[in-house]
Amino acid sequence: MDEFNDNEISKLLRLKRYEQPPPGYFENFLHEFHRRQRDELLRQPLWRICLDRAHEFKFRFPVRSLASYPAAVAAVLVCGAIISLKIYQQPETTQVALQSPPALSTPTSTDAQWTLASPGATRTFRMQPLHRFDASTQTHWATTPPRYVLDSVPVSYEPTFRF
Amino acid sequence: MDRVLALSATGRIRRGEPARRISDLLSSGLDARAKSKRQAMDQPRTDEDQELLTRTKSGDASAFDQLVIKYTPRLYGLVYNMTANHEDTNDLLQDIFSKAYKAIRGFRGKSTFYTWIHSIAVNMTLNFLKKRGRRFQLSLDDVDASIQNDKEFLEATATSSPVREADLSELQRRLNEAMMKLSDDHRAVVTMFHIQGMPHAEISKILRVSEGTVRSRLFYANRQLQNYLDEFRKNPVS
Repeated sequence: MDEFNDNEISKLLRLKRYEQPPPGYFENFLHEFHRRQRDELLRQPLWRICLDRAHEFKFRFPVRSLASYPAAVAAVLVCGAIISLKIYQQPETTQVALQSPPALSTPTSTDAQWTLASPGATRTFRMQPLHRFDASTQTHWATTPPRYVLDSVPVSYEPTFRF
Repeated sequence: MDRVLALSATGRIRRGEPARRISDLLSSGLDARAKSKRQAMDQPRTDEDQELLTRTKSGDASAFDQLVIKYTPRLYGLVYNMTANHEDTNDLLQDIFSKAYKAIRGFRGKSTFYTWIHSIAVNMTLNFLKKRGRRFQLSLDDVDASIQNDKEFLEATATSSPVREADLSELQRRLNEAMMKLSDDHRAVVTMFHIQGMPHAEISKILRVSEGTVRSRLFYANRQLQNYLDEFRKNPVS
């Protein structure tokens, strides 16, 4: 037999069927496929993932009626409006409370020499309001959160009244 | 007796019909047969994978997993024999199934899933081979030991002196080198016909060419392989 004829070539090539991948390759292939799919999904941008999910949802639950789309859009808008109202309503209640002047005042000393050693020392304190309200500050109070001023005087510092 | 036997579109001879030109008869017959064949190809077929396809389209990923398990060995053989590289085959297989999963909702069932997935595999492999060019290295799989019991292998070693004299790894290398000397298109046809045992009709559907094209490519590829393996006959042991 001088040369390979078609039949012999065919027989030789069929022997290539015995070339097989390493043991366990086919059993692990599906696991590897899943792993690559997860990696590919994680590499995608978020908007792409959302778009794919939306397409998948559309195919899984085919919506025939066109009226459902405006209803869905309206539902989304209503939800967004409700959420935004709740967010913006919360600061207004604190703004109302801030507009009333706080009853805070600190005494100003008229006597320069006053020591704790002098018994019954009396001092007349002139109470001055800590904050003066005018119209220009109202807007400031409306935006800034309330703060607690530790300027109040202890009870022991209160003057004794002379009668 | 002016009436001539005329060929009908079905290929049966009918007596008594008026004569027509032979070319018209032949063309009409061929057109009718080709048309009927195309219609048969376009008709949705009963597909054993239909249930798995339906479940996959409805979102059942486990159904697609079963398709992967079913077709991986066969597609591995197809891609490996076209690329002769195990690593490239592994990467290509992953891409093939990934593409199939993304495109499966567009699969209308005009052909079987078998034909469809093989078309994807062949096209992606051919595109890969064009990009790879001639810069490649053989990365051959091991030959399964059960080949020693193969009837054709025993006959080849018994009758053919080159095959008998060369060891198994040498034979494997020579065969793969001969395959890689073919063009990508010829190698694809040889792989599907000789190695995978597909009929001409199935190969023509996968490649979307006529059966005549498949046969002519096979004929040319066989001649090429004869020349390449003739060197093996002259120098069985390198």
